[in-house]
Amino acid sequence: MSVPSVRLRSLKALPALYTRPGYTTRPCYVSKWLQSRGLQVSTAPPPNAVPLRKHLKDEAKRKKADAKAGTGLRRDNAVTARLQKWELTVGIEVHAELNSACKLFSSATAASGDSTAVPNSNVAAFDAALPGAQPQFQVATLLPALRAAVALGCDIQRKSGWDRKHYFHWDQPNGYQITQYYQPFAKDGAIRLSAEDGVPEEDLLGGRSLLIGIKQIQMEQDTAKTTHHPPSSYHIDYNRSGHPLIEIITLPHIHSPQTAAAVVRKLQSVLKAVDACTTGMELGGLRADVNVSVRQRGTIGSSSYSGVAGLGQRTEIKNLSSFKAVEDAIVAERDRQISVLEAGGIIAGETRGWSLGSTETTRLRGKEGEVDYRYMPDADLPPLIIGNDLIDHLRDRLPELPDTTVERVQREYGVTEKDARTIVALDDGDRLEYMEATVELLQPRLLDVDDLKLGKLAGNWVLHELGGFLTANNLCWSDLKIYPIDLADIIAYLTRGEITSRTAKQLLEYSNDDSTSRRVGDLIYDLGLLLRPLSDDEYTELARTIMDENPGMVAAVKEKGQKGKIMWFVGQMVRRGEEGTIEPGKAKEVVERMLAE
Amino acid sequence: MALQCLPLRSALRCRPIPSLRRQTARFASTTPSPIDVAALLSKPTWSVASLLPSTSSSPSTSSTTITSKQLHHLLRLSALPPPSSPAEESSLLASLSQHLHFVDEIQNIDTTGVDPLQGLRDETKQGEREQELGLEALREALGREKVVGRYHRRIRRVRDAGKGEGREGVEEDMGDVMGMAGKQVGRFFVVEGGKKEGG
Repeated sequence: MSVPSVRLRSLKALPALYTRPGYTTRPCYVSKWLQSRGLQVSTAPPPNAVPLRKHLKDEAKRKKADAKAGTGLRRDNAVTARLQKWELTVGIEVHAELNSACKLFSSATAASGDSTAVPNSNVAAFDAALPGAQPQFQVATLLPALRAAVALGCDIQRKSGWDRKHYFHWDQPNGYQITQYYQPFAKDGAIRLSAEDGVPEEDLLGGRSLLIGIKQIQMEQDTAKTTHHPPSSYHIDYNRSGHPLIEIITLPHIHSPQTAAAVVRKLQSVLKAVDACTTGMELGGLRADVNVSVRQRGTIGSSSYSGVAGLGQRTEIKNLSSFKAVEDAIVAERDRQISVLEAGGIIAGETRGWSLGSTETTRLRGKEGEVDYRYMPDADLPPLIIGNDLIDHLRDRLPELPDTTVERVQREYGVTEKDARTIVALDDGDRLEYMEATVELLQPRLLDVDDLKLGKLAGNWVLHELGGFLTANNLCWSDLKIYPIDLADIIAYLTRGEITSRTAKQLLEYSNDDSTSRRVGDLIYDLGLLLRPLSDDEYTELARTIMDENPGMVAAVKEKGQKGKIMWFVGQMVRRGEEGTIEPGKAKEVVERMLAE
Repeated sequence: MALQCLPLRSALRCRPIPSLRRQTARFASTTPSPIDVAALLSKPTWSVASLLPSTSSSPSTSSTTITSKQLHHLLRLSALPPPSSPAEESSLLASLSQHLHFVDEIQNIDTTGVDPLQGLRDETKQGEREQELGLEALREALGREKVVGRYHRRIRRVRDAGKGEGREGVEEDMGDVMGMAGKQVGRFFVVEGGKKEGG
């Protein structure tokens, strides 16, 4: 069995990965790699397919031309003029579902955001508000709540109380919600944001970061889930009734819609990092209500909110369920308020709603329909007394917050900030774990390379190469069978110059294959993938062959001076040459030298 | 009486109370009259009847009058039906004003410096120490978490299908809640929304 036929046999299996139903190819060149193998994919690329890079360049040119046409620019100018006159102030209230096994006041199982539980199966007597049912505080729910409060830098109150907020709705079986109105369990925290989090320049006011104060965090119950079945009936699922929530109320320190969306995003990532709230906004685990007010710059308004005085009258927008919705709703409400005030009207303190795709907020409830919640302490529940030893224990063992992790990854592994942020956020931290394991394995294999360089290499491979591999094969992270040791071996061989980068990518393919239990080194040996460097003469000969076949291209470079075409020659050489022999760098040198003659 | 007071005074070892001395001086020869309990009790200073409005006074003189609009607002807040006839409305208003009179009387008591009672609990220092949720109380919950990762360490709660436990033990299974449904579709409770009624 000769080596080449073995190679071809395993390669024959590969087209299946690219011709699965549902895998669509772009209307431009399919992977050069496939064509170079001489394999026939089921459909040939259409004759008038546009190369990908050309397509992207054309799009960019078109966009630029449109922008310059002037309409966009004029609108932007009008908006900025308005904003220079009016100042926006926003306060946010975020409701986050706690990651706990049971509900807040009963021992029924708490439904997680994406659970497939049977409706109305996790309902205890108190959740269904059966007469005589008593609440019983579940202490395990304190852990995620306290971790969230510590992560956001709050002062934990030793003694806090439970209060009833009365209103009637079919999703509130008791007729009241148990919350902490008079004495919340945590107060006076803060969250820090920087430009990389999405805060626009004008909000930073020249500083490096922006500090948004958090007024308080309180624990409360969630309501049941209702789904509307037109025309007028509602289906109710009490699985979610009584689920523990924390409400995080920020101070009105936010002055732009982008900052508001950034605050919500940052809160979600901090809560996820300490395992306090693991379901995100898109799954309904995090909901935001915003309070919006405007005032003319330099004037002092007559309202105050959360202790900040001099603000304009505010309106509240309820139930925003995505980051984009937060930003868009604030923009729409700000514009509406400015229009009303500029026309001489006054803003009524009302509750408004927003639906995706709208251009303006809609009125839900006016001041006269304002609900009187009749807050009163709940007599069935003792006050919540939290011990200092517990707080200290949790604070000492708090997991690393995302900011610290990103900064550490940049410092220890030499990864760029953008890449660091992406790696830390991907796959619930597993991608970063993989990268760190790879670097540790690379160190003994590449003793002469400095640590930061190793970190950069590993970061690039884990993020871009593995990422590309996963998307190309429609896999998710948990399906990956390439272990850090395999990746470390591949990178080591590549860095030592023993294989080409194309071979390295091929090896990813082989390593992921479940049926082979061979290590990377064995694979390289068995499949003959080691780089067999060609001599100068062989390069020159190959280059001459290609140049003779394409006199037009040669002329383009020599006479018209189109240096870009040199890479085309390199590509052709790589395709023509035998697998694992052509090094692009060397080929480029040779081609340049020959064309310069 | 004077003879009886002497040992008392020396026992107390304090200066004799002037009035007592005067009394003993004045009535040295006769026994002083005892406190007239009957006289003291003959004149009441407070009556339970004051908690209800007196029938002689007209309702309009009481300090808190409720208008029909306020009554309707309160009935709406309590999800109670509005009065069906003017007679029912006036009787509701009358009884509500009696309730408010009662509440006014109670609120007239001076409670400066007194915190409102929220529940009958052990408010001693010892009681508070017992109710405190510290490391011991959370030890079981902390045991149900694990640390994930060797390089990038994260805490993750272990998820299993078991039911949670209250502080005093597992709540008794109450069976299927769908048995309470008045109207249902599949496993959902059904409510007819109809037209939206304020709030």
